[in-house]
Order: sequence, then structure tokens, then C-alpha cells
Amino acid sequence: MNPSLKLALLVLIALEVSFAQVWSVNVALIVVSLGLMLINHIPWRRLLWLTLVPLFFAGTLVWSLMLRGNASPHFLIVLFTRMFVYVYMGGWFTLTTKPLWLTRSLEQNAKLPSKFAYGFLAAFNLMPKIQAEVATVRAAALMRGEVLHVWSPRLYFKVILAAMNWSDQLAAAMTSHGFVEDAPRTHALTVPLVARDWWLFGISLLLVQVGLFVGLP
Amino acid sequence: MKRWHIRDIILVTIIAFFMGVIFWAIGPVYTILQAALAPVGLSPLANELVIGIWVMAGPLAGFVIRIPGSATLGELLGAVVEMFLGGMWGASTLISGVLQGFGSELGFIFTGYKRYGWFTLALSALTTTVVTFTWDLFRNGYAAYHLPLLLLLVCVRFVSVFLFGGVLTKLINNLLVRAHVLKN
Repeated sequence: MNPSLKLALLVLIALEVSFAQVWSVNVALIVVSLGLMLINHIPWRRLLWLTLVPLFFAGTLVWSLMLRGNASPHFLIVLFTRMFVYVYMGGWFTLTTKPLWLTRSLEQNAKLPSKFAYGFLAAFNLMPKIQAEVATVRAAALMRGEVLHVWSPRLYFKVILAAMNWSDQLAAAMTSHGFVEDAPRTHALTVPLVARDWWLFGISLLLVQVGLFVGLP
Repeated sequence: MKRWHIRDIILVTIIAFFMGVIFWAIGPVYTILQAALAPVGLSPLANELVIGIWVMAGPLAGFVIRIPGSATLGELLGAVVEMFLGGMWGASTLISGVLQGFGSELGFIFTGYKRYGWFTLALSALTTTVVTFTWDLFRNGYAAYHLPLLLLLVCVRFVSVFLFGGVLTKLINNLLVRAHVLKN
């Protein structure tokens, strides 16, 4: 399925499920997402992780509501299953979608301005450098006997300086390689958006609507 | 008004990624807090305590980049990174990201992207709290809690957002101003 449409479907369903209170639809979504993950050969450790953690969070949420709130059992089941809907649908999405392909699709299919698409990609490839930079800043501070925590302004300060440097350099590099903002571009690799994608999108969304509004528990 | 250029886009993305790494690293702390508070039925309090760190990318990006939309974009991208790093909340992370970012963006909108000081930060913390709490009333069923607990949750959330998104952001901003990379 086309990545942009897949993302739209995911967000729309998550948004609806957040307001709806129909647990049978939640269960159906969980089963479908689980099936899709299994078809796509999800590693079993990942699946176990995706199951145990929401189990814990949903458990504590329901327990707190029972102890400190006045929610009906029906609402508690809705909340419990809702957590799994988020996690399993998200798991299916990240399992089957590469960030690079998604960005390309957003640019080509969803008409995201190319400066955003390429800006994101340029920064995305800095990921290992970003992680290394955090480690370097911390180590440098440690050598002076200073421990940097999540709440230390200095940690953020140093990394922002690095970020400013890198973004200047990357932007200059892209310009010198001929990147022009808002100029029309051609694409070496095109992301297909075919009728089948629209059908899948439309039918999935329709099925969820039917489930939500037909009066299921 | 300033427009987005490729340099700003790369900068907001790098900042968001950095924050995404932190969001992701804070996950275990959140889980432990949640487990510790669960037996007495106060597990939502764990969420309120650490939420300030999660919503920090918004005000930080808004302060450093100062272009309309930077807070929203910064927070959204932070959520995207968290999602792809293996944070598990999936689509719900993205929606929360947009809402948290827009929440802090409102603070900048109300001051017309002109004032960058304590007032804007406090306002931004307030709008973030209001927007995200409204969302939690639905998403996490907060509406079903008894009123005293609900009030406690709102207060703790505001304090957390103000400390991280407000005070810490201001301190970082002060350092950047002293280094002459940002105008006051």
C-alpha cells in the first residue's frame, strides 16, 4: 500500500478510535493488525515486546480508573483494548514502512514541498552523528568532573550549537550540489499510487465506520 | 514574517531528533514511575510528572527557530523519531505530537511571534497543558476520574510542562543568547 495513504489511514483510524467507545471494533482492529504483522514476518521478540508493554500500561490505567474513578466496566474494556489498537497498528506501520520511502511518497504523492522532504532526509542521515554527539558532550563534561543530566541546560546548549553548525554546512552542501528551493524536480524513483491503494484505503475506512456506527457493543 | 528555508528545516529536524532520542531514553524511567505508583491507583501521575520532557521539543524549537509552525513541526518530528526508534505508541504518538506541538505553538501565536521571554513561555506552558489535557480526557479516559484527582493531575502537568518547557527552555535560551547565536 502507498506509504502516504497508509499513514493517513493509520492516523484517521487512531483519531476515531480515541473518541469512539466500541470495543468490538477495537478487537477487530487488533486482530487485523496482528494478522498483518504476522504476514510480514515480525520478529517474535518484537511482538512479545509490543504485547507485554501495553499490557502493563493498559493494566495500570484500568486499575487506577477502578480505584480512583467511576468508569463503567464497558468503558474500561474500551480503554484496555484501545491501547492495543494504537500499539499494534503502529507496529504494523513501522514494520512495513521505510522512512526513506515514506518521505519520497509524501513529496511525490502528498505534495509536501521538496525542501521539507530533502531537509528531513538530510537530517535523518545524521542520526548516528547526533547520538555520538550526545555521548561526546557528556564525556567531555565528565572529564571536568561535571555530570550532565536530562535537566542540564548545558547539554542542550552544546547540542544545539552542533545542530546549528551542521545545518549550515548541510544547507550549503545541498545548495552547492544544485538544490534549489521550490524549483520543479524530476524523480529517479517514483512511488506508485494506484487505484488499488485508494480502494484499500476507502474500504478499510468504510468498514471501520460501519463497525462504529452500526451499534456494536 | 520569516519563511522556511532549507537550513531552518534541517535545524528543526536535527533538534527534533535530538529530543526524540531523549524522549525515547526517558521511556524506562516513565515505566518504573508508573509501576511504582500503580498499586495506589495513581499511575496517571507518572505521565504528568514526566510530560514536561516530552513536550519540550515544541517550545525549544519555537525559541531557537522563531518561524511560525516551528514548535508544531519540532514536536511532530520528535514524535516521528520516537516512533521509528521503536517507541510503541504508533499513530497515537503522531497525534499527541501534533497536539503537544500545537499547544505550545498557541503560546507563540498569542504573542504574535514577537516576544520571546517569560510571558510567552508561561503562556505556552498553559496552552500546552490545556490542549494536551483535553486530549487525555478522551484518549485515556481521564474524564472518569474523581474531581480531586483530576485537579491534582492538571496541576502536576502544568508544573512539569512549565519546568521543562518553560524554565529549562529559558535557561538554554539564555546560554544561546550569551554565546551570541540568538538575539534576546
